[in-house]
Amino acid sequence: MNIGIIGCGVMGELHAQLAAECGHRIVACADTSRSKAKQLAKTYKDHGAEAVKDGMNVAGQPEVEVVVINTPTPTHGEFIKAAAENGKHIFCEKPLGRTAAECEEAVQAAKNAGVKLFVGHVVRYFHEFETIKGLVEAGKAGEPGFVKTYRGGMAPQGEGGWFRDVAQSGGVVFDCSIHDLDWIRYAFGEVERVFCQTVHETKPDVIDYAMVTLRLKNGMIGQVIGTWAHPSGFRVKAEVCGSRGVLQFDSAQTAVETHMRKTARGDDPSVIVPGSPVDKSPYLLEWEDFTKWLNGEGEPRVTPEDAVSAVRIAEAALKSAETGAPVTL
Amino acid sequence: MAKIGIMSFAHLHGDAYASCVLANPDAELTAVWDDDVQRGQDAAQRYGTTFIEDMDEFLKQGLDGVIITSENMKHRHMVEKAAEAGLWILCEKPLAPGVEDAQAMVDTCKKAGVGLGIPYPCRHVPALKEVKGQIDSGALGKIFAVACTNNGQYPGGWFGDEALSGGGATMDHTVHVADLLRWYTGKEFTKVYCENGNVLRPGLGTDDLGVMHMEMEGGIAISHIASWSRCDSFPTWGDVTLEIVAENGVIEVDAFNQKVDVYNDDDVKAQWVGWGMDPNGGIVADFVASIAEKRDPIATGIDGVKSVAVTVAAYESARSGQMVDV
Repeated sequence: MNIGIIGCGVMGELHAQLAAECGHRIVACADTSRSKAKQLAKTYKDHGAEAVKDGMNVAGQPEVEVVVINTPTPTHGEFIKAAAENGKHIFCEKPLGRTAAECEEAVQAAKNAGVKLFVGHVVRYFHEFETIKGLVEAGKAGEPGFVKTYRGGMAPQGEGGWFRDVAQSGGVVFDCSIHDLDWIRYAFGEVERVFCQTVHETKPDVIDYAMVTLRLKNGMIGQVIGTWAHPSGFRVKAEVCGSRGVLQFDSAQTAVETHMRKTARGDDPSVIVPGSPVDKSPYLLEWEDFTKWLNGEGEPRVTPEDAVSAVRIAEAALKSAETGAPVTL
Repeated sequence: MAKIGIMSFAHLHGDAYASCVLANPDAELTAVWDDDVQRGQDAAQRYGTTFIEDMDEFLKQGLDGVIITSENMKHRHMVEKAAEAGLWILCEKPLAPGVEDAQAMVDTCKKAGVGLGIPYPCRHVPALKEVKGQIDSGALGKIFAVACTNNGQYPGGWFGDEALSGGGATMDHTVHVADLLRWYTGKEFTKVYCENGNVLRPGLGTDDLGVMHMEMEGGIAISHIASWSRCDSFPTWGDVTLEIVAENGVIEVDAFNQKVDVYNDDDVKAQWVGWGMDPNGGIVADFVASIAEKRDPIATGIDGVKSVAVTVAAYESARSGQMVDV
């Protein structure tokens, strides 16, 4: 299919590459930064890619069949609606939106237009998380009672530092921990209530740290820690405890560890995309799943409603952090 | 030479302290008492000392200090009897399952003019002392948040009986970290939220997991996991971990992660063999010194009350479903 990329930062580049690997053609690359749009379009010159300034034009461009949205979170809703109105299928980076209300509108717009909306909750495709889920289902923890996840490292920047602006990005809870909020719901079931504490500091550097406790409808307790408080690095940990066992994963114990002073481009890495030493990266698996759905072969692992639910939990977490009280969903 | 007696071996730490008393050149294990006669006699035999069945008789043996390692609910009575006898006291944590009891015990000891201490091993763990030094040096700057865990294996026996323990994993595994954070920051806890319950071991009479959010003076945000989540096949007893998020950096602490991984075909499971310092030796040495110097041990009765107050607030929060004041 013909793909239009909206937002040509780190994730835009990645999704363009994966879409191409899945046999799609990159025909338009939009970014408010002209140079980023041009750069990505140049990479897919053979596909006939053109650089565009305004993402809205991609959403309306006749030859585009699928738009991929990798823009700052608050802009997702408008792009989704525009794409849907123009009959385009949509791949949207997580989180689906900055508020649950926005997300519901976007999902409704896609539904009304009869287009497919996929949201990049990629952790569902990570091999370690799939393995943990499989082990839990095989009873290796016994009856699970507790799940704990940890994710993050240094604060990402993004164009104009939008990641670091909680009003735009929702901070570490919305942009980082949302992976875990989604995965816990996916692996263990619906959330009953949420309690959360956050730290937002700007001096001497941006420090965003969030500690979330979940009580699930099935009685399980969960803890999700998200950090953009570390001076460097990126780390993921997961633990499941049950009546008969404990399952643990720590990304610090890894098959490959590379310590670079600079990226290949010569700059400091600003958005870290965790890698996996596997044949097919989780991001590629995600694109294969989406592509199958586009081809009418089965349902994807992530539904639009899943993405709304994740935002609803994240929203509850921020509300709890603000009020100092638990929030029941 | 300090003459030390041990009251009850209901808590497994009784054995650890007994060994430390025997190893301490400035102390002797003069006598033991236990309300379980067989258990007391066995312990006396194990440590080559005298078992005295009558508590009053035991307290008249010319002791300088007693170490109390009974069930939590029995602490108060023993502390009062030992204070009345004018003895220095080291009482296993939690001091008491309630704040009023704990405070009354402190008052009794003060009135009797005897020292009262709580054996908080974290204050004697070199890794944790090093962190205290880093915080005190000012290098970290302001502390914003700390994420803590104190996981363990289910200790069994009376620990799962609320009538004797006063509570489960939340009671057992919150006070250490609460005391540690008070020591690190010099601040008190102000608020606690807790989700807990019997979610791991089916049919336990009490909670085996408590996940807490707390605030300390100055708005420091704390999360804490108190659990008996380590299954029987887990390679070690448990952990104390902290992630301290501060102005100038982050410190990640895994206090007892000084180990060698051992895989041996004769053992059923993989095991971590620790090479870290035994903090119990430091606890007993400080207690013995406190008797000679006529002072409270490093972690005092008041420290015991303050950390118990956090636990009590956690249970209150779990009942009410709200964040509560400490």
